[in-house]
Amino acid sequence: MRKEWVTGYLLILPAAVVLAAFTHVPIVRTVHDSLFSRASAIRPSRFVGTGNFETLASDPVFWKVLGNNLAFALGTVPVSIALALVMALLVNRKIRGQGTLRLAYFLPTMLPMIAAANLWLFFYTPDIGLLDQILGAFGVSGTNWLGDPDTVMPCLIAMTVWKEAGFFMIFYLAALQTQPPELWEAAHLEGASRWVYFRRVLFPMLMPTTMFVLINAVLNAFKLVDHLFIMTKGGPNNASNLLLYYIFENAFAFNDMPAAAALTTVLLALLALLAVSQFLFLDKRVHYR
Amino acid sequence: MSTLRLEGVEKHFGGVRVLERLDIAVESGEFLVLLGPSGCGKTTALRIISGLEEASGGRVLIDGRDVTRAAPSARGVSMVFQSYALFPHLSVAENIVFGLKVRRVARAERDRRLKRVAEMVGLADLLDRKPAQLSGGQRQRIALARAAAAEHPLCLMDEPLSNLDAKLRQEMRAEIRALQQSLGMTVVYVTHDQVEAMSMADRVVLLRDGRVEQSGPPAELYARPETTFVAQFIGVPPMNLVALADGPRGAVISGCAPGAAVLDGPGEGVLMGLRPEHVSLSETGIPARIEAVDYHGADTVVSTRIGDQRLQIRIAGHFVAPKDGEVRLAWPFEAVHLFEAESGRRADLPPKPAKGNPQCSVV
Ligand SMILES: Nc1ncnc2c1ncn2[C@@H]1O[C@H](COP(=O)(O)OP(=O)(O)OP(=O)(O)O)[C@@H](O)[C@H]1O
Ligand SMILES: [Mg+2]
Repeated sequence: MRKEWVTGYLLILPAAVVLAAFTHVPIVRTVHDSLFSRASAIRPSRFVGTGNFETLASDPVFWKVLGNNLAFALGTVPVSIALALVMALLVNRKIRGQGTLRLAYFLPTMLPMIAAANLWLFFYTPDIGLLDQILGAFGVSGTNWLGDPDTVMPCLIAMTVWKEAGFFMIFYLAALQTQPPELWEAAHLEGASRWVYFRRVLFPMLMPTTMFVLINAVLNAFKLVDHLFIMTKGGPNNASNLLLYYIFENAFAFNDMPAAAALTTVLLALLALLAVSQFLFLDKRVHYR
Repeated sequence: MSTLRLEGVEKHFGGVRVLERLDIAVESGEFLVLLGPSGCGKTTALRIISGLEEASGGRVLIDGRDVTRAAPSARGVSMVFQSYALFPHLSVAENIVFGLKVRRVARAERDRRLKRVAEMVGLADLLDRKPAQLSGGQRQRIALARAAAAEHPLCLMDEPLSNLDAKLRQEMRAEIRALQQSLGMTVVYVTHDQVEAMSMADRVVLLRDGRVEQSGPPAELYARPETTFVAQFIGVPPMNLVALADGPRGAVISGCAPGAAVLDGPGEGVLMGLRPEHVSLSETGIPARIEAVDYHGADTVVSTRIGDQRLQIRIAGHFVAPKDGEVRLAWPFEAVHLFEAESGRRADLPPKPAKGNPQCSVV
């Protein structure tokens, strides 16, 4: 018995070491660093307790960035999931050009974010961009989509939805293909319309997939940062700044490592909270076969 | 109560013809079994009746109404699927009343029907479970209950018992039949298992390659098969088909001595059908050589060779082959069926006993 126990630990050791070295230790160090002040030439770093967090709490930019991030999550997650489901339902049917359609829907996901951001940068360019050219035909022109604090977030949200929906579609498509066709036939014979079938049978049965996609979508909303480098750099006036980009700014532009560490700790806590609550609340409503 | 008629129903998939001018009529309250080997089009026929598949030609009439192009839900049929097709996320009760809810049947009525069918199929204590927590037999009962709760007069069943073990299958056969009779349902039941067909059907329609080979009450298919196909499909072990040859004193079994006539008349081109259960051991019978002995408990199936033909016989109890492997076989003359070897059709001429050779066809 004892030997089995040792063997077990030996077997997970390599994975555990790698995970610890690159994930757990950095997390602990970050949390540790967030409790110390910024070191300068004349004053070494010292323990300040929650001092860095208090500074953060009184930083209006932090609250703005946090609000932006929540808006970004609320704007991207439900829409991209709904769109993913609709697209999966569309391409799951036996139609001509099914393969091409699936590829077309999946294409945005295959593009690197940098390329996608450049593409959308062109769409949003005032006057000569695609969007303005189309709107120009209706007499609206000269909108500075990414330069206006009121429009910049919706613009980023639209691009992110476009990029992510195809990815989530793949999961829905895989789940749809495991659905036995008799379930629809049985429901259809009983008089159920497509919609009733979707609402009463298909959607509940897709719950595990929805759950999985939801967790990923929410995490992504807090992890996506590449597009900001290309498109807005968090501007104008932090209107499109997100937590991760703000951490980057603090660490490498303002050279304020303790602030960055405190921000990172906040982000980690937020993500942990989200993951736990999703598992707790949604698990009850998910049907696993 | 409901009648069903298929008139010249055809079905092609691409260029492949699956059903060819199918004519079937089902009386109200009848239990009709569609029987046939795998791939003969039974499921396709059933799906055309239900409307899940569209006929390429012909008409489907339910209670005299042409429903060939009608939507499945407009036909007033319920269906039991081979895979049960239960909704895994819904409880037993919710599965049973699913259709009633969809059709907005009032709550009181729904509860009444649920209670009734749940008691009928013995699920009353399991209504809150999910299908995954039940055994195969219990799941099949949910599917039956769901079909019964719909109270549609016509119920279609596609091999509903094929996923169950032998003992359960036997129990469920009786249950389904009882349910059908107490509800007065018209049932079209698809199976490739002739035992199911024989024990449950009021009438059997035997399909072969998308055509009706023969239809009639089970006893008629057993007693008077119109073709060698029917003869061999109904009954276990299947009917023996023994090639005959001409002999000086009448038809002989192919490969036997020319004088050993078994029937009067010519034998060339004729097959003699004999059911294994109609052949018996007899001191005065035709000599045969034992090739294999297959003990089944209640009886023993013995494979023998007469001339160059094989003949299986069924002997009650435990049969121990004699040391020399020789037996003598006899059969009543009325047990003989004759078929044309070429077409496989039943020969019109009634068989006549061979004259002056009592050895070969002992009564
Ligand atoms: N959707 C389809 N497309 C093409 N061919 C089909 C289709 N459905 C059935 N077939 C063909 O039609 C024939 C009859 O099929 P069907 O399912 O009706 O047979 P069955 O009698 O129910 O057989 P089994 O006892 O194996 O269930 C088969 O040869 C099958 O390959
Ligand atoms: Mg079938």
